[in-house]
Amino acid sequence: MAAAARPLVSVQPLPGSLNDMATDHVTTVALPDVMKASIRPDIVNFVHSNISKNSRQPYAVSKKAGHQTSAESWGTGRAVSRIPRVSGGGTHRAGQGAFGNMCRGGRMFAPTKTWRRWHRKVNVNQKRYAVVSAIAASSIPSLVMARGHRVESVPEMPLVISDSAESIEKTSTAIKVLKEIGAYPDAEKAKDSQAIRPGKGKMRNRRYISRKGPLIVYGTEGAKLVKAFRNIPGVEVANVERLNLLKLAPGGHLGRFVIWTKSAIEKLDSIYGSFEKCSEKKKGYVLPRSKMVNADLARIINSDEVQSVVKPIKKEIKRASLKKNPLKNLNVMLKLNPYAKTARRMALLAEAERVKSKKEKLDKKRKPVSKEELAAAKAAGKAWYKTMISDSDYTEFDNFTKWLGVSQ
Amino acid sequence: MATVPGQLIWEMVKKNNSFLVKQFGRGTASLRFSKESNNLYNLNSYKHSGLANKKTVTIQAADKDQAVVLATSKTKKQNKPASLFHKSVMKKEFRRMAKAVENQVEGNYYRPDLKKAALARLSAVHRSLKVAKSGVKKSKRQALKIRK
Repeated sequence: MAAAARPLVSVQPLPGSLNDMATDHVTTVALPDVMKASIRPDIVNFVHSNISKNSRQPYAVSKKAGHQTSAESWGTGRAVSRIPRVSGGGTHRAGQGAFGNMCRGGRMFAPTKTWRRWHRKVNVNQKRYAVVSAIAASSIPSLVMARGHRVESVPEMPLVISDSAESIEKTSTAIKVLKEIGAYPDAEKAKDSQAIRPGKGKMRNRRYISRKGPLIVYGTEGAKLVKAFRNIPGVEVANVERLNLLKLAPGGHLGRFVIWTKSAIEKLDSIYGSFEKCSEKKKGYVLPRSKMVNADLARIINSDEVQSVVKPIKKEIKRASLKKNPLKNLNVMLKLNPYAKTARRMALLAEAERVKSKKEKLDKKRKPVSKEELAAAKAAGKAWYKTMISDSDYTEFDNFTKWLGVSQ
Repeated sequence: MATVPGQLIWEMVKKNNSFLVKQFGRGTASLRFSKESNNLYNLNSYKHSGLANKKTVTIQAADKDQAVVLATSKTKKQNKPASLFHKSVMKKEFRRMAKAVENQVEGNYYRPDLKKAALARLSAVHRSLKVAKSGVKKSKRQALKIRK
C-alpha cells in the first residue's frame, strides 16, 4: 500500500468574490487515510448509544414522596385488606390506604434514585474506531444518501471547499457558498422539516424537531465561519480537532453529510494517523486494520483463483422416486412380478368365461314364452272368468233378497 | 471512498435506509419496497438497489410533454453525485423508446439482468403518461348501471 496511487480529492472553488481573498490555488488534496478506514455500523451504533448517555442529568422523585403519613396496617379481622391505612378520623384521608404503589397518594413502585448509573464508560479505542468509521462513511455518497441527505447536486464526495470559506463572516455569504457547492438542498430540507414535536416531549424541553443538514468541519481555531453558518437551520459546525460522534453519526446512523474545508481535511492525517504511521495527536494510535483487504465478495468468489479449485456444479440431480402400491398400480406390479401379466390375463379370461357360461345357463332356464302358449293361457283365463260370472248368477235362489230384509 | 464494494454497502444499508418502505405486510408476508429513483422495481433487494450497485438504470417520467427520462450511472463517477448519471430524455413513440432502453441496458452489456425490469418500467411509465383522446373514460361499473 504505497503512496503511489493515492487518490486525490478536488477542492471546490468558491464564488469569485471570495476567491480573491484566497491565496491558495491548489485544486486537489490527497485523500486522508481515515477515509479508507473500515466502516463498522455495529461499533458506531454501540458507541453512540453509550456516549449519548453521558450528557444526562440525574433526576428522581422525592425521597419522601408517599411516605409522609403515619399509616399503620389494621391487621386482619376487619374485612379490609392489610395495606397500611391512615390513622385518625374527621377527614376523608383517614382510613385510606397508604404507602403502596397501588394506593392513591402512595409511593411509586421502585422509586427512581439519583444514583442510577447515568453515564457510560466507553473504551477510548472503541470511541476512536467509531469516529474513524463515521468519517469514512461520510465520504461515500451511497451511505450519505441512505441516511437521507440530499447530495444529488454535490460535485464530489468527500466535499472539500477552499480555505477562503473559513473567513466568511455573513450568513448570507454562507448560504451563497452552500448553493454554489450544491449543499443547499440538504440545508433546505432541514429547514423545511422544522416542526413541533408530537407527543409529551414538547413539555420536556424538546419542543421542536428538525432533520440534520450538512456538518461543516473547519481547520483553523477561531475561524469566522462558525458564526456565519451557525444560524442556518440544520447546519452544524465543528472543528476537526474536536469531531464528535454524536454529530458525525446522529442517531447512531452512519453517513452524515460533511463539508470539509481544505485545512480541515489536511489535518485529518495528523489527527488520526494512517494505517502505518501513528497519529500525532492521539498517542500510539494507528487506524484499525480491516478484516478483509478486499471486501468485494462477489469479485473474490468469481475470481479465477477460487473458481479453478471449486468442485464443478452437480448438474444431474438424483431424486428418490415416489413409492407406489403394486397392489393398485399394475405397472409397478409388473416390475416386481413379470408373471403377473399372464396371471392377470388368465384371470380375466377365466372371469369372462365364467360369466358367459352362467348367462347361458340362466338363459336356458328362462326360456321365453311362445305366442301359442301365451294365447292358450289367455284363453284359459278368459274361460275361467266367464264361468265365474255365470256361476254367480243365483237364479234359483229367489228369496235371496228376502234375506237382506228389503221387503221390510 | 468510492472503492467500497457494493456488497459491503448493501450489508450496511439493507436493513435501514431513508428510502426503505417497511409498512406493507407482516411476518413472512411482508414486502420491502424502496423509494430510490434508480430502482426499477422499487424493491428493496441487492439486485435492484440503487445505492449498492455501481451500474443502475433510471426510468422515470420527465417533467413535461409526456417524455421519459432514461438514465444510467457512470461507474467512474461514483463519488461525484452531481455528474453520476448519463441522462437522456426520450420523446419517441413507444417501440423506439423500448428499443433505446434495450440497447442501453442489454445491448451494450451494461446490466443485462435488468432488461426485463427496465422494459416493464418503461411500459408502466408510458401507460401512466397516456392521455385518453376523448377525455377521461367513465368507469365500467357506472356504464353497466346506465345500460340497465
